Amino acid sequence: MNLTLHAALLILTVTFAGLCHADLNSKATSAERAKKLIDDMEALYRGDISKALITMQVVTPQYQRSMEMVSMNQGRDNAFIRILSPKKDRGIATLKLDQEMWNYFPKINKVIKVPPSMMMGSWMGSDFTNDDLVKQTTLTEEYDLALVETVDHYTITLTPQSQTVTVWGKIDYVIDKTNLVPVSQRFYDDNNVMVRHLEFSELRDYSGRLLPSRLEMIPLNKPGHKTLVIYESLNFEPIDVNDSDFTLRNLQSRF
Amino acid sequence: MLLLKLAFRNILRQRRRTILTVLSMTGGYILCCLSFSLTEGSYKNVIRIFTMDHTGHIQIHRDDYLQRPKVFKGIDDTPQQRQEILSQPGVHSIAPRVFAPALAYAGTRNTPVQIVGIEPQLEKTTSRLFDKVNQGQYFDVNLNADGYYSAMLGMGVAESLQIKIGDELILISQGADGSIANDIYIVTALVGTRNSWDRNKVYLPLSVAQEFLSFYGKVHQYSLLLADESAVDSITQSLTTALPTLTINPWMQVEATFYNSMEADKRGNRFTLLIIVFIVFIGVLNTVLMSVLERTREFGVLKAIGSRPGTIAGLILIETMMLAIMSLLVGVVIAAPIIAWFALRGIALPDPIDMGGIEFGFMTGEFSVGVFAWPMLLIMAFAIAVSIPPGIRAARVSPTRAMGSF
Repeated sequence: MNLTLHAALLILTVTFAGLCHADLNSKATSAERAKKLIDDMEALYRGDISKALITMQVVTPQYQRSMEMVSMNQGRDNAFIRILSPKKDRGIATLKLDQEMWNYFPKINKVIKVPPSMMMGSWMGSDFTNDDLVKQTTLTEEYDLALVETVDHYTITLTPQSQTVTVWGKIDYVIDKTNLVPVSQRFYDDNNVMVRHLEFSELRDYSGRLLPSRLEMIPLNKPGHKTLVIYESLNFEPIDVNDSDFTLRNLQSRF
Repeated sequence: MLLLKLAFRNILRQRRRTILTVLSMTGGYILCCLSFSLTEGSYKNVIRIFTMDHTGHIQIHRDDYLQRPKVFKGIDDTPQQRQEILSQPGVHSIAPRVFAPALAYAGTRNTPVQIVGIEPQLEKTTSRLFDKVNQGQYFDVNLNADGYYSAMLGMGVAESLQIKIGDELILISQGADGSIANDIYIVTALVGTRNSWDRNKVYLPLSVAQEFLSFYGKVHQYSLLLADESAVDSITQSLTTALPTLTINPWMQVEATFYNSMEADKRGNRFTLLIIVFIVFIGVLNTVLMSVLERTREFGVLKAIGSRPGTIAGLILIETMMLAIMSLLVGVVIAAPIIAWFALRGIALPDPIDMGGIEFGFMTGEFSVGVFAWPMLLIMAFAIAVSIPPGIRAARVSPTRAMGSF
């Protein structure tokens, strides 16, 4: 081979390698961006520490029910929810510590641990599952992320990794680009059939942060059912939330 | 008249043959009567047992609650609704009920149960619950001294929880509005046995159960007892017309498994009996045919002197009918005391048998017109049928050939 050809091949190879590297880089950053987006979205309603007043409405063809509750969060791992109304449910509380979950029923003074078998069961009769309260925090660790960008939205498709235990074959996370708030989440089963979707709407200002105040969970396998969650207030610098609130003891304490 | 005398004389001509034929028909008849009596009697007994125990004769539900029980499928329970049902002719008593599956906790133990909300006084009029209390006191709707409501438990629940009278019982379930139903009750009575229908039930006063389940003003079921249990079908009809918004389920639908196996068993029985009677009548056919063939000459003479073929066939028919009637008379006389004994006493079964979930230990019989009449009709029908071929044979006899045969 002559020198010119050799040089040409070298330049070609280097350019190609450079292009590949750049492509790989953008792929890597794309996955990283997706991870950061999801992490941010998940932390949106939680912050490092937060206290919220929530109204939850459960709607079915047979009945309609409304609950008011106070919800406290500490980082990704700890959560405490206590129902304030209606009167018959007042005092019912849920504690989540990392992956474990307990429910407390004041009328019978019983703390019941939620076993793994009941994780996909509904929380307090709503369309949210116990798992929704517990597993959400490990989305970025147990799923593969793929990001698609449009003018207005980021759409991130989450597919479970091979060792992940989940009922979802795929989750689509749609995020508004301008405000960086979630728009919707769509949950698909193993056969790629959408089983339920969560819609975020009605942006509200919570001490400077702009967040959707209205979350609507609609299961598609149960026509006429839906659960509405409204954040009446959300405080990211609560003065009355500390470590002792996230204990089993607090489940049973007077309030 | 002449024909009757002839027939009578003919059958008396061969005494032994007549007696044997009559006896075989009598045997068939008695067998039929006994079988009918025992099956009818036993089943009627079993049906009475569970309808009076907890099912009632008719149950009323909303929509398809019976096939697909869901806590929210309730009937609006108003005094007018109850009155409307009670005012139907034939309805003796009514009891409203609420049902829900639940988890029962006592101490460290728990067990799945079914909650049954009942009105203590009304329940007494339609079921035997009051008589089945074997420990403690039948409850009422009031709070006890410590401010708790009372509960009655089936023996299965009591054993699983190792619970006694006066202990606390925790119940957890899902309310009709989806909320988590939970409360504490005090056990005031234990009912039934380890194997009875109520072994996994927890009874609560109706209003207490309604509050527990957030199911105010509604019930899942009205259970009715009728004045006459055999009028079930007609009263189901009249209730269906009177209450178009509700579903009327007679006990045959409530205990469908039992009813279907009972009907299948009865059909099987009847078929077997049919075969037995058929075999008996083959023997009778043989007898009648024999007596016809040996009188060929006689029939020839009769036809020669002017008897119609129809008359001769009629003669054979009357002869056979006479045999049948004699056998029936003897049969009734022998069967009646036996069936009366079955109806009054019955055979004690060494091992109580289970059929569709209901247990019975005594085989009793039924003493009624039907038990005697239906086999009678059967025997008569066969007798007529069996006399036709020989009758035709006798009628077709040609006088010349008949008289020339010997």
